[in-house]
Amino acid sequence: MPELRKDPIVGRWVIISTERGKRPTSFKMNERPAVAGGFCPLCVGNEDKTPPEVYALRRDGSKPNTPGWTLRVVSNKFPALVIEGSLKKQGEGMYDKMNGIGAHEVIIETPRHGGSLSQLDLKSFEDVLWAYRERIVDLKKDERFRYVLIFKNHGAEAGASLAHSHSQLIALPIIPKSVMEEMEGSKNYYKYKDRCVFCDIVHQELDDKIRVVVENDDFLAITPYASRSPFEIWLLPKKHSSSFVNISPAEYISLASIFQDVLSRIEVALDDPPYNFTLHTSPFNELINDYYHWHFEIIPTLSKIAGFEIGSGFYINPTPPEEAATFLKEIK
Amino acid sequence: MKKILVADDEEGIRILYKEELEEEGYEVKVAANGKETLELLNTFFPDLVILDIKMPDINGLDILQRIRTMFRDLPVILSSAYPEYQQNLATWASDAYVVKSSNLANLKAAVKKNLGE
Repeated sequence: MPELRKDPIVGRWVIISTERGKRPTSFKMNERPAVAGGFCPLCVGNEDKTPPEVYALRRDGSKPNTPGWTLRVVSNKFPALVIEGSLKKQGEGMYDKMNGIGAHEVIIETPRHGGSLSQLDLKSFEDVLWAYRERIVDLKKDERFRYVLIFKNHGAEAGASLAHSHSQLIALPIIPKSVMEEMEGSKNYYKYKDRCVFCDIVHQELDDKIRVVVENDDFLAITPYASRSPFEIWLLPKKHSSSFVNISPAEYISLASIFQDVLSRIEVALDDPPYNFTLHTSPFNELINDYYHWHFEIIPTLSKIAGFEIGSGFYINPTPPEEAATFLKEIK
Repeated sequence: MKKILVADDEEGIRILYKEELEEEGYEVKVAANGKETLELLNTFFPDLVILDIKMPDINGLDILQRIRTMFRDLPVILSSAYPEYQQNLATWASDAYVVKSSNLANLKAAVKKNLGE
């Protein structure tokens, strides 16, 4: 019989098939990542086709906006939200609105076209994580912003429009509803139990072991108990940490290592599937706290959301997370 | 006189853009689909291209790729009724993105800027 499982943070219900779940081969797709070939505006030599860089790593001392970089961050060339101006919050009858202020940036993770994050050397992967941190720290200085969302779309089905490996960042003047729900859920749990819900998840998963994909000294990768979709993975620090920007340099190395391991396992098990990952971290106004625990959520795009999910807010997951963890664990 | 190629499958847009841009003193030729656009690129040799994204035979973003392979620095302005294409990073190979409107002020400003006027 299928199970209804409840996410302990936001209270979201999912329907999990507990019978023999869909195996990795059932999902195999031949979709290759995004638009291939031709002219790539993110490639070395085409720096003039992007807006000026706001952050870059250049180990050869080359000038900004010229070749020689190993990582670049640029503003979105055609942004949906604009950086200049004031918020001008106002009411329109019962409705609320404000100016569309925000920062939308693209992190070009490598000069090499066509590779994936998992194929970077460890130092380059670590550089990507540092770039996320540096941009969050910089954008936090802008008083108009309350949250920075970092995400990656890998593969056309997951929304990537170029094969050149990149992730994106959007600084927002509001805290997204999904983040608010996580914060509220975590606070409620803390009020009731005097413990961080994520810390409890970490402890229970380390005890149970059945949903642990891989771990190292500092981090743990699990398929969450109430996974919304097959092979969903959360990557969490083992020790309590409310903000991604506050971890130590050694932890960034450790994170890069386990993150790359997890992405490699997904790519091998599911034949390089499209996926999305997002960084979940505390909003600027409550960066240091005892109730929330930053983490990455990685979701392979293996099933489509349809009327039931949209109408109910429930998800149907045909692969129990315990089976997904077993498959992923076996990948060497 | 600077030459502009307008590629759009909508006849009304082709007529409007041609009339208005000719009034601004440009020589304008129009293409109704991707095939005509590629032909005119090699016979008309425009100084700037205004390119629709949704076209019946070849997608505007594919044409943009071909333009960049042939003429890396030819200014291209994407003109689309759909602002959501702005989230597609393949549009970055262009020089400007203008959402279609009956008011051509933004389009004309982008033309002037990209022709260095």
